Amino acid sequence: MTTGPSPRYDAKADLQDTYLSFRFELTKHLRRRRLLIVAALAVLVPLLFYAFSVETAATFAAVSLSFLSVLIVASAALFAGDAICGEFEKKTALLSFPTPQRRTSIFAGKYMAAVLATLIVVAIYYAIMMLQVLHLYGAGEVPSGLAQSFASAAVYSTSAVSVVFLLSSVLQRSISSTIVGFLTLLMVLPVLSTILTSLEVEPWFIVTYAADLISDSVVANGFSFGPGRFGVYQPDFGPGIAVMLTYTLAGFLGAVCIGSRKSME
Amino acid sequence: MQYAIETENLTKTFRNGFTALDGVSLSIPKGHVVGYLGPNGAGKTTTIKILTTLIRPTSGTARISGIDVMTSPREALHKVGALIEVPGMYEYLTPREMLTYFGRVYRMDKAGLEHRIKEILELVKLSDWDDKKIGSFSTGMQRRLVIAKSILHGPEIVVLDEPVLGLDPKGIRDVRELIRQFQREGMTVFLSSHLLAEVSEVCDSVIFLDRGKVVSTDRIENIGNQLQSRTINVRFLRPLAQEEATRLMSVPLVEDVELIDNGSARLRFDGRPETSHSILRELLLRDFPVVYYTPEDVGLEDYYVSVMSDDRR
Ligand SMILES: Nc1ncnc2c1ncn2[C@@H]1O[C@H](COP(=O)(O)OP(=O)(O)OP(=O)(O)O)[C@@H](O)[C@H]1O
Ligand SMILES: [Mg+2]
Repeated sequence: MTTGPSPRYDAKADLQDTYLSFRFELTKHLRRRRLLIVAALAVLVPLLFYAFSVETAATFAAVSLSFLSVLIVASAALFAGDAICGEFEKKTALLSFPTPQRRTSIFAGKYMAAVLATLIVVAIYYAIMMLQVLHLYGAGEVPSGLAQSFASAAVYSTSAVSVVFLLSSVLQRSISSTIVGFLTLLMVLPVLSTILTSLEVEPWFIVTYAADLISDSVVANGFSFGPGRFGVYQPDFGPGIAVMLTYTLAGFLGAVCIGSRKSME
Repeated sequence: MQYAIETENLTKTFRNGFTALDGVSLSIPKGHVVGYLGPNGAGKTTTIKILTTLIRPTSGTARISGIDVMTSPREALHKVGALIEVPGMYEYLTPREMLTYFGRVYRMDKAGLEHRIKEILELVKLSDWDDKKIGSFSTGMQRRLVIAKSILHGPEIVVLDEPVLGLDPKGIRDVRELIRQFQREGMTVFLSSHLLAEVSEVCDSVIFLDRGKVVSTDRIENIGNQLQSRTINVRFLRPLAQEEATRLMSVPLVEDVELIDNGSARLRFDGRPETSHSILRELLLRDFPVVYYTPEDVGLEDYYVSVMSDDRR
């Protein structure tokens, strides 16, 4: 019935398992309606900004985008919060672990599903916002920094998912990693940036500071949601992306290592 | 001979210093149905978790179909399907969605997998539920679904950790029938339980585990021989008169008499069938109005207790 055993180190099999886990996790996100809810928010939230009548398309976009990071964080917390600890907490690991695949493949697939879910949210948000800009200001007014902004939002998505994913590998309960992840990215790190800024240290290495690129790319020193920012410093595109990519990679690798060593005892 | 399941000196000491397994060696021949019996906390689940690579032993080795589970987990896990404790369920999914995922993990091809899912859901009587959310299933249905998942890929060996946990009598009978079916198909079944009666009906042999050690291994028929009753229940046509009761005490070979509401009695004897026969003849010769005469069912449980160490408690 099966095609027989595969060698112990089999990268092809590992990739295939990762893909299967990715698809399975995505199905779960769809069935649990979470993806639907977050996607609905990505449609509705930008529409709220119709209320702000601002002069230029760029300012409009920047205002609207200043809220996107909240949605990214919510999505990351929701989709990655239970990715690792949920498997132990809910004991579904008793079903998935005693199968011929590596735990790292299972977790990598779940990570990718959380990333994709978050990217879908981001894409919807930009699409809606673009339609609004076209409607309100016309095609000639589309802000020039939008591509950079989108790239920043995409990379921030992967880094936010990584941060929550790492928490999910360390903490015992899904609800803790979801909440701690949410608070870390929306409160703790922004407050830290603010403190550093007031000490005249540029918080270039803090991921949420780099995430300001999302709106700063459209309007320099634009708007940001969350605890006050004095606008003394501004992230640069290249280094900002590099910082976010570092969080992405470190969080992912750390989580997969810790998660697959986690004991079923 | 290559065994289906083989362990050598498995030892597991948990981080808190508790030793749950203390040198467990098992050799389970292919095609056998073996009960793994022990009281709560004996180490049954710990053994099964090691066999399925969920935890690592402190020392010792475990092989599935000759494949070391520590060094070649992927190959070993292809050969075995397992139900371990009470797994969490993908409540938002349907049995079909869940089984399709695992079937793909086992690299079953699309057509074969679809056919197999149909087949096993029929086997566990969940055919009508293949597209319903698992979250709405009863305990028994969830248990049956996990059993179905454990045989999805047609493994040679199936390991079932307390498969009837939480099931009603009918559910227990269904699972028993399933296990017989697995056996007919030539699978090796390793079945843990804390009730001897539960496994004695389906198993070829039983391994007794107590406090992390194998204390006895026996074929079921041998256990049967050791279950000879030392008590006979006798029922009389009418309540015995005082004089008759006194005479009953003096029947040869009867060691002790316990009268129950004067219409029946329990006789103790040495347990030999010959003695039982002699006593019956004596009773009839002495005109006792015997209606029926049956050795008391010694429970398997008595045997179980006698095998397990006495210094418990
Ligand atoms: N992670 C752990 N840390 C410490 N002790 C543990 C751990 N897991 C199990 N134990 C202990 O090891 C012993 C054996 O546990 P195990 O689950 O294997 O028993 P069991 O035979 O399956 O019992 P039951 O019939 O209750 O399921 C128990 O005393 C248990 O308390
Ligand atoms: Mg147990």
